[in-house]
Amino acid sequence: MTKIFDPTAAPVARAVALAARPVELRGLRLGLVENTKFNSDTLLLKLADRLRERHGITMTHMARKRSPSHEVDERAIAALKERSDVVVSGIGD
Amino acid sequence: MLAGGGLRGDEVFGEIPGRNTVVVADKVAINAVLAGCRPDYFPVVVAAVKALCHPDFAYHGPASSTGGSAIVLVVNGPIRHRVGLNAGNNLFGQGTRANATIGRAVRLTMMNVMQTRPGFFDRATLGNPGKYSFCFAENEEESPWPPLHVERGCRPEESAVTVYASNSLYQVYNQLAATPEPLLRCFADALSNLGLPNVKGFNQALLVFAGEHSEVLAKSGWSRREVAAFLIEHARRPLADFKRATRLPGEPTASDETTVRALFERPEDVLIVSAGGRAGSWSACLPGWGNKWTKAVTAVIEEGSA
Repeated sequence: MTKIFDPTAAPVARAVALAARPVELRGLRLGLVENTKFNSDTLLLKLADRLRERHGITMTHMARKRSPSHEVDERAIAALKERSDVVVSGIGD
Repeated sequence: MLAGGGLRGDEVFGEIPGRNTVVVADKVAINAVLAGCRPDYFPVVVAAVKALCHPDFAYHGPASSTGGSAIVLVVNGPIRHRVGLNAGNNLFGQGTRANATIGRAVRLTMMNVMQTRPGFFDRATLGNPGKYSFCFAENEEESPWPPLHVERGCRPEESAVTVYASNSLYQVYNQLAATPEPLLRCFADALSNLGLPNVKGFNQALLVFAGEHSEVLAKSGWSRREVAAFLIEHARRPLADFKRATRLPGEPTASDETTVRALFERPEDVLIVSAGGRAGSWSACLPGWGNKWTKAVTAVIEEGSA
């Protein structure tokens, strides 16, 4: 009998609890995640301006990643949770 | 293959953060068989895969980037001879099973296990041929310096593999240099071209000095650190150059003509290896991804388990 070996491995399924989506943006605090690429902060700050103008949402905190390669670290996540209601994670370049 | 590494199939080698990817021994072994490895090569593959999972390597960036990095494996220590890795003529080219298949096993593992498939989590604009396979050994016996793995904290009797992300390889030629300074100026120039991916100054590079160039450096008595320090001192350009090429924003000012930016910060960011054929005035420069976004990682190869 021939046995076939599969060289592939699927990602491991993990339960992720999603935050409740806000019904209304006005008055909420905005957090930004900047990935340190060229123009990432510029792009995100422009976006924050637009959100303020159009939806009355205020930027209160910007987290900087260690690098574009790295994940947002636990301390930055804790700060985002404490200081913001919604978060935009962006990329520049 | 698992027996070659003295491993159980369910042994976990590591995880890739952000991808929910767990790298398990049996899958790596299957990919090593697919690549054409002999079982005694497997400990090298295992050490390389573990190094890719190390947080300092920050796998996601170099594996996924549009820059299309090859994962370069530099092998040191006694295992080089035992498995027949090429450290001499044509070491980056075809013709040696160990070089070809160890590098290939790592790439297949990246594709099949670490989800690094083209168009999915591999977003390379061009890629490069080193993405098929890129593995070689250091020629420790004829090197002017201690082996790379010893430089990076291992014991000489240990075997180790250093994993390093590089988006290209270019050969640097100089047939007339008889002293380090003119020779290394060619490398400094190669390391500071305007098309360099990172102009912020925190680059990493791997330099492979081959026979005749190695000999010039050996005769000079320059240490690795002295070579790296010279390169850092000379791999720099005026800010105006970067601005004229729009690698930095803004018009060049008068002071930009005389304000220089160094492209490397620390000697340890310039990895230096001696390998390649004895004849010829060629060496190689492999620019990396920058010392803040990924770092080369050296992992000990568990030879006892083979």
